[in-house]
Amino acid sequence: MQGMLVHHAPMQDIALPAAVEDIVNPSQRLSAVHHLDIYRHSYIARLRSCMQSQFNALAYALGPELFELFADQYLDTYPSESYTLNTLGEKFAQFLQETRPDAGREQKENWPDFMIELAGFEYALSIIFDEHTDEQPAVILHDTPDEMLKLAPVFHLFHHQYPICGYYLGVIQSTAPELPFPEESYSAVTRHNYKLGLFTIRGAQYHFLKNMQRGDSVEAAKDNLVKAFEFKRAELDKIWPEWKKGFIDAGFFVFYEPS
Amino acid sequence: MSKIGDNYTNTLISLPNPGLGLGLRSKHFNHILEHNPAVDWFEVISENFMDSGGRPRHVLRQIAERYPVVMHGVSLSIGSTDRLNKDYLTKLKLLAGEVKPLWISDHLCWTGVNSLNTHDLLPVVLNDESLKHICTRINQVQDFLERPVVFENPSTYLTFKQSTINEWDFLRYMTEETGCGLLLDVNNVYVSGFNNDFDPAHYIRQLPHDRIVQMHIAGHQHCGTHIIDTHDRQVAHDVWKLFNLAWELTRGVATLLEWDGNIPEFDVYHAELLKAKEFMSSIDGFGITGEQEIANDDVVSNPVNFLVNEVNW
Ligand SMILES: [Fe+2]
Repeated sequence: MQGMLVHHAPMQDIALPAAVEDIVNPSQRLSAVHHLDIYRHSYIARLRSCMQSQFNALAYALGPELFELFADQYLDTYPSESYTLNTLGEKFAQFLQETRPDAGREQKENWPDFMIELAGFEYALSIIFDEHTDEQPAVILHDTPDEMLKLAPVFHLFHHQYPICGYYLGVIQSTAPELPFPEESYSAVTRHNYKLGLFTIRGAQYHFLKNMQRGDSVEAAKDNLVKAFEFKRAELDKIWPEWKKGFIDAGFFVFYEPS
Repeated sequence: MSKIGDNYTNTLISLPNPGLGLGLRSKHFNHILEHNPAVDWFEVISENFMDSGGRPRHVLRQIAERYPVVMHGVSLSIGSTDRLNKDYLTKLKLLAGEVKPLWISDHLCWTGVNSLNTHDLLPVVLNDESLKHICTRINQVQDFLERPVVFENPSTYLTFKQSTINEWDFLRYMTEETGCGLLLDVNNVYVSGFNNDFDPAHYIRQLPHDRIVQMHIAGHQHCGTHIIDTHDRQVAHDVWKLFNLAWELTRGVATLLEWDGNIPEFDVYHAELLKAKEFMSSIDGFGITGEQEIANDDVVSNPVNFLVNEVNW
């Protein structure tokens, strides 16, 4: 029965162990095939709509028909193996990469790259939303000494070739964003009081925060940023108060309490 | 039945009746936390919370401090031929340790084989072989969880040629063999009865009423030739009548209104539940009217959209 449900392709394409009529009873109103069709129809419709809610912005970007086509093919290729639907879209970005329409062609199109990045970002958000951690209330003052700052327990950085975070926020805030042109972008995602915060940041900020993610203190992260990008230390120190205020307001930092 | 099975039966028949409950849905989290509505208890979908380290789990912890909670699962797949999923059972037990549910329930169904999950509650072949298989698995699950498990009759859209046992008898044998309990979904009986040509009142009369610890009521969509269990609207009048019959036969058990698609505001949901009170005393002239509103558009059984956690801002 499962084989008859899971593959969205027409039934004659599947080697069935027996005819439906040999397995399923007809009823007063419906034939055996009609009975089975209720399950077949619901299977794909149900999982398609789960994909839709997991990939809200991607569905908007692709439009309903194209999204449905990709989602159906994905569900056929990677049917769920998990007890939870929260991981249904785990391989969707990978699937889009594997099946990109310009695969094998020398001239690559832009839009598949955008869709793949967007799919990966949306899935990452759903994982961050449910990430296990001890959330601490982060009331932190602007004049907290640098050595007392560490990154919030839920803090993730993203680097994209398209303005993915901005586009995603546009969809969520219903501003009907246009498909963007390629443009390198950086973003940070936090979670406070169990709600996500999404922030577009600059490249240098991304690298600074990345250093902190690797365990650097504020001072060391600055040093390493200066070294790696040949920045002038004096200039970095000049803009640092502005960065620090912005990062604290955005909830990137919590208190570092030496144990 | 084994000694342990007897223990499960004893535990089961002494379970409390918490009254009229509602399904906990993320849409209502804030309303419930802010207003503490006078609902007797909440049913939570175990899979929505067992992996969550975020807001859903955080909210559930608070709700469980204020209200009695029952854990209802959709992924046990008791009828499957795959091995029981130990990882799933471990997480289920962990969650139960945290929220202390009155009981844990799932469905008489299978969700997939060969490691796949269709995320549907698929019907099982009802015969001696499957009964033995399922009872063995129920014993394993109950021993692992160290408590009786409650099984719900799913809404079904087909029956198998190989089935030789009526569903109501199958459920009875399950309770006798394992000490498990039953969750009687009155709407599912109505839906399955229409789809598979049996009399829903007869089904309900044949069940072992002392093993029913909970009932479900819900709305469905009539499609003319069949009925789809959509959980997206008010309860049909015929289902209320069946509920009345079940209420009398069970002498009243915990009752929960399911609403999973087009979920309304909390107060509307609660008001629909409270209609159950009108159907708790004798009503004259029992009979199914067959009133129906027929849909033309595509409808989906067992909607599961609500199982995907909504990312909150
Ligand atoms: Fe139910």
